[in-house]
Amino acid sequence: MLEIQELNFHYQYRRIIRQLSFQVKPGEILHIVGPNGCGKTTLMSILAGLRREHSGTITLRQTEGHILADRRTQVEYLPAEANALFGKMDAMRNLQFWMELRDHKPSVDAMREELARWDLDHPLIRENFPVERFSTGMKRRLALARVNLAQVSCWLLDEPLYGLDSRGIATFQDMLEKHQAGGGMALIVSHDTAPLQKFAIQTLDMKQEPSR
Amino acid sequence: MRKSLMQYRALLVQSIHVEWANAERWLSPLLFAMTILILFAFAFGRVDEQFIPQLFIAATYLTAFFSLQIAFSRVLEPDMQDRVFDQMRSYPISPSAWFLSKFTLVLMLGVMILVPTLLLSHLFLNEGRNNLLSGSLFVIALIALLGLGSVGVLLSTMMLRSNAKQILYPLIYFPLTTPVLLAAVESSRAHLVEGASLENLLSSWLGLLVIFGIMYFTLSLLLFGELIKPD
Repeated sequence: MLEIQELNFHYQYRRIIRQLSFQVKPGEILHIVGPNGCGKTTLMSILAGLRREHSGTITLRQTEGHILADRRTQVEYLPAEANALFGKMDAMRNLQFWMELRDHKPSVDAMREELARWDLDHPLIRENFPVERFSTGMKRRLALARVNLAQVSCWLLDEPLYGLDSRGIATFQDMLEKHQAGGGMALIVSHDTAPLQKFAIQTLDMKQEPSR
Repeated sequence: MRKSLMQYRALLVQSIHVEWANAERWLSPLLFAMTILILFAFAFGRVDEQFIPQLFIAATYLTAFFSLQIAFSRVLEPDMQDRVFDQMRSYPISPSAWFLSKFTLVLMLGVMILVPTLLLSHLFLNEGRNNLLSGSLFVIALIALLGLGSVGVLLSTMMLRSNAKQILYPLIYFPLTTPVLLAAVESSRAHLVEGASLENLLSSWLGLLVIFGIMYFTLSLLLFGELIKPD
């Protein structure tokens, strides 16, 4: 369970997040909504461990009573405006690298299966073809394949549907459904709400507060 | 420990793959070194034999220093693309494994630049009159590389996290590396001109070089962890 209590974050003199508290239970999807600039991406980067909150607590429990010392072991982050891919490397090499960093033994079959799910398993695409030549949608699909292979309980997805075609969106929905069924949590920032409507989701509305 | 070793290996292998995929990154410093040495050889022409060791040392270290600076300043460049660096920060990576992988890469790049620079410098400036190349000279150059490499990785990371990217690197790199360079030049000069052995040099300039190497390595290893922490 992910529990956030009285979280505060300010940038210079502008208060971005103020006394924010919520929790996400295993198997829950939290859709974070709000106008531009209200702090959705900032919240995601705090939860991912990229920014430090100014006050408040963030607790990720793997099981009841077991608080993770480093929540990054169970959190996978997909940023909004990037995919975190090495442009000169091919798809397989990219997936292998991120899996090894999580101490997972990268199995070629598992990676190919994941690539196949995202229509990226063609021999001319998966190997010896630098990712920098991928289209926007292909890069996003590869990044989502990485998210799924991370085998973590908490996904932080910032605009995950950016660049995806209808087939990609369907694959994303399928991936999310399985994650949810397996007791995984997902926090999603997305202005494209239609694809999420088939899920039983919680909504967190981060209304913009006047700057102080 | 096993996890850190696995991460070290993954980070190093990935860095080598990236360097290999982009030959320009390691070829540019090498070509730069060759150009500078040719310019030196033409500018000095035929030099009195007694000054050759000094000229050899000056030209080699000057060339190597600037070539290494080009290579080191770009060592984290691939990680800047597509927010790879931030993504790595969101992973539970051991800071030591991360630093050591980059440090190893820097040493590999350094050796790839330093060894040809020494050989070319010997070829162009010495014209085969004396044999100035020796195992001891390579040892001195490698110890200097350890110190320069540590500072190189640290400053490259600082550049990623700083708003003053362009100005920061030269402002800090040059003052920090001056003692290392001076000690390396003095050690090499004492070895080539005065015939001092490494054992004798350890109590003077070479000792200083070793101390700076250890100091910079330790400092960089400790500070690197701070640089990758949340903002």
